[in-house]
Amino acid sequence: MTDENEGAHGANDLGSWLTSMGAPESITDLMPSEITGLDLAPLIAMLGGVGVRSGVRNAGDSEQLADSIKWLPLDRS
Amino acid sequence: MWNRAPDVSPNLRIDCGVERRINSRTSPKFVSGFFETLVAPFGFSLPTQGLLGQLNLTQGVYDLISEHKRLQFASVTQLAQAVSDLDSLKIALLQMDSEEFAIWCGLGKNNSRDGLLTLIHEIDQALVRVREARVKVDFEEYRPGPKALVDSLTQLALTGVACDVKQIKKAWPQSGRKPLTPKWKSRIGSVRVCEGTGTLIEVSSMEYTFLVKWKGAARTRIDVGILRNHLVLDLGGVRRFLELPAACSRMESIKARVSLDSIEIDFMVNEKEWPRS
Repeated sequence: MTDENEGAHGANDLGSWLTSMGAPESITDLMPSEITGLDLAPLIAMLGGVGVRSGVRNAGDSEQLADSIKWLPLDRS
Repeated sequence: MWNRAPDVSPNLRIDCGVERRINSRTSPKFVSGFFETLVAPFGFSLPTQGLLGQLNLTQGVYDLISEHKRLQFASVTQLAQAVSDLDSLKIALLQMDSEEFAIWCGLGKNNSRDGLLTLIHEIDQALVRVREARVKVDFEEYRPGPKALVDSLTQLALTGVACDVKQIKKAWPQSGRKPLTPKWKSRIGSVRVCEGTGTLIEVSSMEYTFLVKWKGAARTRIDVGILRNHLVLDLGGVRRFLELPAACSRMESIKARVSLDSIEIDFMVNEKEWPRS
């Protein structure tokens, strides 16, 4: 992970993150507050890992991914 | 999100059970171009590591998205896994096309979203192409037992790819193996491709069932899961993703049932998510 990426963990919203990435603070004035206030969690999940995995699923994998598959209880008839 | 109908090339032929002759490690230009476009503006070294790290991209996925007219896979299982990985890759890319990603690209920083959509479209095309391919199975190099053959054909059928049963029955004795018994001939002949897109059925005002028809489902050891707005069907690591109706995103998935010819997923309306007037 690069230094720039580490900066993302210190920001909770898009506006703060853009500023931490070196964008001028005035950039937030150019965007509606609902956009600058966007939660960064999905974006960080995108960069850090989305839980789509191939191969045999590993039931013992304790890693919690933001978008992991929810396996359903199954009735077989 | 991508309304253009995929351009289908119906002339693809896939041979399974033969030695690979095509160099599969050459990534198509659009894949490498996409990653360059995506990575550079963000300044991250490998933002797709989590998405792609577990995908076996050198084991045939690149072949499937190439423009070759003829492909060769070492086994039916390997082909099934490659199609599954390609489907997984598409789902991962669809997830990347999040609202936040679109906004970031919309700031005029780069053309990453165009690249993303192009890649998703190319994968759609490849999936259509491979699902319409003529698949031939050769037993000279790869000699599975009858059960393993049925299992791998079922995995391939889950991905939406069909094999010519007559060709398989004809090729089997040529491999010098013991003849297939009527039981195994019947089992091979009963494997059906999973074609359905699924239907949402109202059971009551609070309960709904999403039904996917797949003949022979009960004979499989399938696992069923939900990933955002997609149903995940997993058979020994080979996966098929089916898009769920939008209404399902406002409901909670409860359990799945597998019967002889269908897979049913029960949903319960979550009133917190879906307030009624």
